[in-house]
Formats: sequence, structure tokens, C-alpha cells
Amino acid sequence: MTGTAPAPATTPLAARPAWRRRIARTRSSGVALLIALPAILIFLYFSWGPIFSSLVMSWQRSLPGQGADWVGWANFVYVLTDPVLPQAALNTVYFTVLAALFGFPVPLALAVFISELRRRSWYYSALAYLPVVVPPVVAILLWKFFYDPSTHGVFNQILAGLGLDPLPWLNSPALAMPSIVLEATWAGAGTAVIIYLAALTSVPTDLYEAAELDGASIWRRLRHVTLPHLRGIIVTMLLLQVIGTMQVFTEPFLFTGGGPQNATTSLLMLVYKYAFQQANYGAATALSVMLALVLGVVSVVYLLATRRWDTRA
Amino acid sequence: MRKHTSTFAAVLAFGVAAAALVGCSAPADESDGTITLVVGDRPSADRPEDRKYFDERIAAFEDANPGITIDASEAVWDAATFQALVAGGTQPDVMSVPFTEPQGLIARGQAADITAALEAEGLLDVLNPELLALASDASGNVFAVPTSGYSFGLVYNRAIFEQAGLDPDAPPTTWTELREVAQTITEATGVPGFGQMASSNTGGWSFTGETYSWGGSVENADGSEATFDDEPARQMLQLLHDMRFVDGTLPENALYDQGAIHQDFAAGRIGMILGAPDAYWNVVRNLAFPAEDFGVGGMPQGDGGPHGTLSGGTAQIVNPNTTEAERAAAIKWIEFLYLERFVNEEVAVADARASSEADSVTGLPGLPVVSQESYERYFEWIADYINVPTENFAPYLQAAQEVPIIAEPVSNAQEVYATLDSLIQAVLTDPNADIDALLAQAAQQVQSRLG
Repeated sequence: MTGTAPAPATTPLAARPAWRRRIARTRSSGVALLIALPAILIFLYFSWGPIFSSLVMSWQRSLPGQGADWVGWANFVYVLTDPVLPQAALNTVYFTVLAALFGFPVPLALAVFISELRRRSWYYSALAYLPVVVPPVVAILLWKFFYDPSTHGVFNQILAGLGLDPLPWLNSPALAMPSIVLEATWAGAGTAVIIYLAALTSVPTDLYEAAELDGASIWRRLRHVTLPHLRGIIVTMLLLQVIGTMQVFTEPFLFTGGGPQNATTSLLMLVYKYAFQQANYGAATALSVMLALVLGVVSVVYLLATRRWDTRA
Repeated sequence: MRKHTSTFAAVLAFGVAAAALVGCSAPADESDGTITLVVGDRPSADRPEDRKYFDERIAAFEDANPGITIDASEAVWDAATFQALVAGGTQPDVMSVPFTEPQGLIARGQAADITAALEAEGLLDVLNPELLALASDASGNVFAVPTSGYSFGLVYNRAIFEQAGLDPDAPPTTWTELREVAQTITEATGVPGFGQMASSNTGGWSFTGETYSWGGSVENADGSEATFDDEPARQMLQLLHDMRFVDGTLPENALYDQGAIHQDFAAGRIGMILGAPDAYWNVVRNLAFPAEDFGVGGMPQGDGGPHGTLSGGTAQIVNPNTTEAERAAAIKWIEFLYLERFVNEEVAVADARASSEADSVTGLPGLPVVSQESYERYFEWIADYINVPTENFAPYLQAAQEVPIIAEPVSNAQEVYATLDSLIQAVLTDPNADIDALLAQAAQQVQSRLG
């Protein structure tokens, strides 16, 4: 018998006519959609639902348990004429800038340092990540205790040991925000360190060897090999950090309650104040909408400007 | 094909289950003749004596009123969570709020009009009209029942007084005296003599009481104008500034709210703070400060006094979403738990005995919520069961008869307090603070929000 290979049980997809291929693709993507459906529904109900109703509430004056009246732009006017708003906006931008200046390079430097270690790098990664594991409220209350402005405060005692004068820390309008940024950096650096460490493994080692052979110092290797490869990740992380820090609330709320003299009041603290101290949900949602718009514009501008740096392009 | 079908079925089942859970709603209240009241302020499990006493009272009330069932909730009034409580629909039918709240609640429609229910029980004639006025709107409709009244006074540490060689029965009655006493304390013991609250709206609240004590005010009578840019406020701020930077008798931390300052006071790290007798609950009960060292006097007065002090206390509000029958039941409960003791000796003694046996705070003096005579008679009735050191409150009771009490600002009090927080913080943290400029700026900010 001349052997021809027995016909396969089912014809491979590629061999089937085009219309059969289309049905098969739709069926499998239909199943995928069904599997994702609960997650989509939950997301719609718990995330997009409130976002949409916030938008609606920003044009209304409402009280919990009672009806709502349409008031047009009145809430936006109220928010924009709040004498505290310029200070809060400035404080938020100040926090974002400080966090980007100090809080952004630190994880990167730590990740590069850890990746250069030959032994026990896991130990240092774990150490770097430990502050992230501490619950934020606990960490903040701990640091608040450290920042006690009297001579008995922990940090002031350390300063005294170094022969320096005690600092007022959270009680000084000038020092309060940097103090908060210090704690925020300590608490948040760990996650970024782990992400950068992972990204660093994608840098081909032969590039480093070639650079070393050419006589490049550590700094030059960093600048010309490591950083260009991490460009894509850095661009994304910076944007995420800016969006996140513009919404800072927990740290100023627990450290200083917005003081001294509104030096640490952030935009989200204003939203909280409107919503839960004044029961003015219209103003709170109006401010949230405006903040979301600003962040959206910032993101678009940022992504357009950094498009040519994208390593995926 | 079979594989796809079983996958499809599993996903569909999960989807249906998820949808069913999402569609679940909270069970509705049953209405079958018995009225169920949800009452708040049940003491939490870390205060077993107070909790036991509260539960016994509920049981006694249910026995006496077979048509009413009480559901106790631990919900308490807290500035940070109250709005969320109301928005979430979990506001109890009856709950306590501080005296600073009723006007704001009335304006936002978050308290029920209980005038009719009070009249039906005959309580409108029994309650102290001064306190009742603080819980009513402009037309005289009552929205809250005052169940304890205090005036803002001076809480001080008797042990520190003795240690500094001062007479613990004679706290300072004027701000000039207070400044000297603070200096004596700091020199003798190294502890800051006086502590000032300045954050989470407590700064503005203290400042209001202090301004009243110098003869000033924060808002005018109808709440349309900020009135604190004047001499009394200036003198108070100058005093605080001098105590902080010239005398060094204030703590270096300027960002105290009430919770934090109670903690430092109870730890013996501050000699005197502003407060009312009800601070006893937090300072002695929760923070384990020795009761015999707890002293209360009146609000120190400015030159040319006595001028006045801020009223405080607790009122009970009823959820506005209650029916007339539920409101009547709520008033019965309020009367039973808080007010019957002042008019009925048997009830007063039984109540005091239960409270004392449950080791709850019994016999804490304050302002009378009923007439002065009834109030004094009540204390005579329960004399055997009082478990607070009444002698320590003598200076406060003395001052209460001499110093007038003044209501809080009528318009947007919490917002005004928040703005004033900044003012106090500036005075306490900046050695070169220009008090006139700060006052003018704060007045302008408050005015822009009142207009």
C-alpha cells in the first residue's frame, strides 16, 4: 500500500477555509470575554460608576439622604474662590517636585547598587522592600514620634549627638513638607527598587564588558549603557510617580493635619475637608474633577514629549 | 466541543453568582407593631463597666416599654466619620453629638424636628431654656435634646501644682494669673505649664472660648460678619505668643488636637489645658490619669472680666428619616437614659447605684440641663454613689456661677474653626509673627466664606 499520511482527526486551523477561521476566532474570544466578564462588571460598578456619579455630583448641591439640585458651575466657582486653594495647589506641586527630585533617583541608585553586588543581593533587596511592608499609618505615626520638635525627639537627639541644633521638623512651615517627603521616600522606595532591579536584568552584560574593555568608568557605564536601556521604564515610572504624588493625602493628613498654617495642605486634603467636614459633596467632586483633568492633560503632554524616548517604538 | 461547553457553563454559573451578589440589597426594617430603635453610643468592648451599665439600662427600658425594642450600636459622633455615616444610611436613630454640632446639623437637615415629641412628653418645660436655645433653630423648633452641659474651663494637674508649690484648690482665674502659674510650673518642674490646641479645628474652637473670655466674639449675632479682628483677640494671641517665645511655658509642638493634648496631659507632660469636666472620661478613664490629680477650674478671664466662656456639652439628635412614632419612642429612650434621674428620686438612686456598681463614671458635675434646683437636688440624692472626686470640681462649679456661657458661632462654625487653626499655628510657630496682620488676614478669609 502506498502510504499517504492518514488524514488528521481535525484539520489544522490554518488549513481551514477563511470563514471557518473567523468563527473559531470569535468563539474563542467569546469565551475569553465571558471569563473576563465578572471582573469587567465589578470594575464598571465599583470604579467607573463612582467616577461617573462624581462627575454628575460636581454640578449638583446634594445632601446625604436628601435630593440633589442642579447648580451649574456654582461648585467650581466655590472651589476656585477658596483662599486656601492656591496654597494647596502650590503645596501639592511642591511635594511632587521634591518627591521627583529626591524620591525618584534614590530607588534607581539603590537598584544599580544592589545589582552590582556579587553576593547576598537578595538580602539587600529584602531590606529595601521592608519599609513598603510596614502599614502606611503605622509608619507615619512612627515617624511623627521621631520628628518630635523638643530636644527629646529621636531625630533631634541624633542631631545633638552630631553637635547640631535641634530642628522644629513638622512645626516649621519651611521644614514640614521636606520632612514628609523624607518619610514618603523611605516608605515608597522599595517597590521601585524591585521594579528597577528586574529591568536591570534585561541589560545585556556583554555591553558592560565591552565598555569596561574600552576603559569606561562606573559612571560612564551607568550613563551610556544602563540608563539608556532603562529609558522606557524610567519614563513610565516617572509619570506614575507624578500622578501618584499629586494625589497625596495620607502623609499630610496624619503628620500635620495640613499645618502649620496650611504649609502641608494638599489638594486631596481639601477634597476631604469639603466632603467630610463640611458635607459639601458638590465642592469635593468639583475639585476632584478639576484635578483629574489637570492630571490627564499633564499625562498627555508628557507622553507626547517623551515619545521618542520610548524603547518599544 | 464538549470542552468548550463545560467551560462556558462554568463561566456562566460564576457570572450569575456574581450578579446575584451584586444585586443583593440590605434587608428592610420590619414593621409589625413593635418599634425598633437603633441607638448609638454603646461603649465599646474595651470599656466593660460602661458597656455593662449601658446594656442594663437598655434591658430596663425594654421591660418598662414592651412596644419598643432597642438595637444598640457602637456608632459615635466623630467629625471625620459622621458625614460618611449619614451618607451610608447607617446613622442611628438616636445618637449623641457635641454642642458645637446642632446648628450645623439643623442647617443641613441632618437632625429631626422633635418639638412635638418633646412637648408630648412634657419635657419642654423641664429642660434648661438656655441650653435648649442652643439646640433650636431661629423659629424656636427644637432639633436636639441637651443631656449634659459644660462650659469650657481649665483642666489642670493637681499633682504638678503641688510639686510646684501651688495650691491645687486655687487654679488661676485670670489670664495674668495663668501666665504666672505657668512660669512657676515650668521653673519648678521643667514641664510646660500650659498647652494650647491648634489643629483639626480644635485650635479655632479653643480660640473662640479664649476670645469670649476677653470680651470678644468670633461672629456677629446672625453669622454674617467675622468680628474677631479686634482688641480682645489681639490680647489673647499676644499672650499666647509671649508664653511661647518669651516665657517658654508652652510645649514646642504646636500641632496638638484634642486627642493628642489629652495624651500629653495624662502623661504628666503639660500642667494645664483648656477643657471641660467631661474631659474626665477620656483623661482619667481611657488614658489612666489618676482621678485624684484631675482638677477643673473655670475659664481664665481677661482684664475687666468676667466676660464669658464657650458653652459645650452633649445633645441627643434623632435621625431625620424616622416616623412620628419612632421619634416619640426616641424621646422616651432619651428621657429614660438621661433625664428621668433629675425628676424622680427612685430612678436617680437606682441609676446611680447601677452605674456605680458597674464602675462607670457616676456623678460628674457640669451645667444643669434642668433647673438649678433640680440639678443640685439630684446630686444630694445620689451622694452615696458618686465615684468622682467632687471636691476637685469645686473651683469649676464656683466659676460656673460667675462666668456667663456664650454659644458657639452660628454660621459655618467648623469652617471658621479650620481657618482659625492656621492663625493659632502661626502665632505658636513663628517668633516674628505679626499678630495684627495675621488677624486681619484671618478675618478676611472667614468673611469671604460667610458672605
